[in-house]
Amino acid sequence: MRALWVITFLLTALPMSAYAQTALGVKHGPNWIAIGMFLLIVLVTLAITYRSSGSTKSKVDFYTAGHGITPLQNGLAIAGDFLSAAAFLGFAALVYSTGFDGLVYALGFLTGWPIVLFLMSERLRNLGSFTFADAASFRLDRTSVRLVAATGSLMVVLFYLVAQMIGAGKLVQVLFGVHYIYAIACVGVLMIVYVTVGGMQATTWVQITKAVLLLAGGTLMGLVILWHFDFSLGRLFVDASKIHPKGTAILAPGGLFAEPVSAISLGLALVFGTAGLPHILMRFFTVKDAAAARKSVFYATTCVAYFSLVTPLLGFGAVVILMPDSNYFNVGAGGQFDKVTDLIGGTNMAAVHLADALGGPALLGFMSAVAFATILAVVAGLTLAGASAVSHDIYGQVIARGNASDAEEVRVSKIAAIAIGIVAVLLAYSFESQNVAFMAGLALAVAASCNFPVLAMAIFWRGATTRGAVAGGLVGLTSSVLLVVFSRTVWVAVFHFAAAPFPYDNPALFSMPLAFLSIWIFSVTDRSARAKTERQAFDAQFVQSETGIGSFETKPNVVRHVA
Amino acid sequence: MLQLSPDRVRRILSDPSFVELSSARAKLRWGLSLLTLFAFFGFIILISAASKGLGTNIGSSNIPIGIAIFFGMNILVVCLTGFYVQRSNSRFDRLTCDIRQEWER
Repeated sequence: MRALWVITFLLTALPMSAYAQTALGVKHGPNWIAIGMFLLIVLVTLAITYRSSGSTKSKVDFYTAGHGITPLQNGLAIAGDFLSAAAFLGFAALVYSTGFDGLVYALGFLTGWPIVLFLMSERLRNLGSFTFADAASFRLDRTSVRLVAATGSLMVVLFYLVAQMIGAGKLVQVLFGVHYIYAIACVGVLMIVYVTVGGMQATTWVQITKAVLLLAGGTLMGLVILWHFDFSLGRLFVDASKIHPKGTAILAPGGLFAEPVSAISLGLALVFGTAGLPHILMRFFTVKDAAAARKSVFYATTCVAYFSLVTPLLGFGAVVILMPDSNYFNVGAGGQFDKVTDLIGGTNMAAVHLADALGGPALLGFMSAVAFATILAVVAGLTLAGASAVSHDIYGQVIARGNASDAEEVRVSKIAAIAIGIVAVLLAYSFESQNVAFMAGLALAVAASCNFPVLAMAIFWRGATTRGAVAGGLVGLTSSVLLVVFSRTVWVAVFHFAAAPFPYDNPALFSMPLAFLSIWIFSVTDRSARAKTERQAFDAQFVQSETGIGSFETKPNVVRHVA
Repeated sequence: MLQLSPDRVRRILSDPSFVELSSARAKLRWGLSLLTLFAFFGFIILISAASKGLGTNIGSSNIPIGIAIFFGMNILVVCLTGFYVQRSNSRFDRLTCDIRQEWER
């Protein structure tokens, strides 16, 4: 294992320092602070992983860190999982280019949290043990419902993972001029090491480290911007509207949410997608009981809301500070440049350039390293969630029918993590030019249309049966993916057809109700004996989900799986 | 599949503490969920219905109404989750504890 460690270090360190002087580096020479910070973060996270490596023997330890994470730690880790590079770089970029619309997007992400708290966290903790499929198949058929839930999880994990990897590759490429394939390979190797060597314990601490860094960095930048504008928000908005090419239109709703059907569809995917993200739902099993799960969501929500409040400062601040300065743009032959699209590295780099403008190479180095840590932490969480869907749900419960030993399951999990890592790197390589926001949007749409309906109906509706859950899950999964394929983003932009058969960008408004409807129809028409038993078993599930009697928390050291 | 015998489940279901816990929590859970969804999707509909109006400033300040609502919604979300957690900590945890002491042996 020590050898693995050294290899990782070399793989990560070498290409970065070797190519460390291009792109942004052109302006300042190599940014040694940034390189130092990157290496420091890699070292710290590997040290965390090394220390956690002793506690990954049993599956309770590997999947859930022995249920030993405190609510505050878990809350920070959840915020770390959730505030991906899309949130940090993406929201600031959206506000930078569209103004107000970017804020609504950030708000949609935040609004998923109360729903997770009210509907999911406590019941999930009381009913499940390792993955959300445990809770969904609590009184339903273990094999088929789990297969559907695990497929939904894997789809979401892969789309989300590829989106993050592309983002990471671009970021490292722009900052250090490392070749794209080296950049994503480094991220891939690091995330495989975190997960296979350190399990949930290491993944959690990597998340916590990243969340603290991100919140500190966001606060620092927010304060500097406020200070720049004499702590007057009004001045910030007025200056931004004077400089932005769209003028005062950036302070009012624009194109993104103008059309109500698309706007509501996007809103549904943002809000309910969060409640169906497997790597988020999995975090509720790392704490000791339902009360701790609930408290951790409160901490997480507070962190996410706080960061969402900083977003307008970063976005509008970038407008005022970057747009008049041609140093940050790819300037054309005649000295002309587009203040939005010609930003070096694309609009996603707005927050990073802003750090440079506000605090020079030191702040630039720090914030780039924070962005890198953000990506590392999120991909590790996703890989772990994907690996447990394979090992616990598909291998442990479906193939081995609950008879797999702890050691076998953990071994399969590690192999799955390596496989997922390799697949993600290859996909990120072949889809290099794909739009990141579209991939992340697809992941949320699948989560809202497959995972969320199956889980919600199984734990809240007495009438739900296996037939209904399987049919609804498959309908939600296929309809959301197909509608995205038929939408403008894929049908026209990727396949180059003239017109898209599905006129909206986001499928959730249609695929989500379709999934719920299918679960309902296929359940009420199910007159089999099994359906009758399943409906009767709802009472016992209800008692356990409300009180926690019989749930996993009571005997944390005994592996008692619902067999 | 389950630890609880059907007879035990039936008796817990009719325990007054359990009835109080589950019905009060259901009320809080669905009430707050609906409030959250109404607030967010109401805002979305308001945006498509009155996009111009949201760009006008509040009174004599330079802060547009839409952005002020954005700040307000962030605070609302934290307050709603905080309220749920506070109610659960003070009332539901006590009831759960009673029920478990009664039935878990």
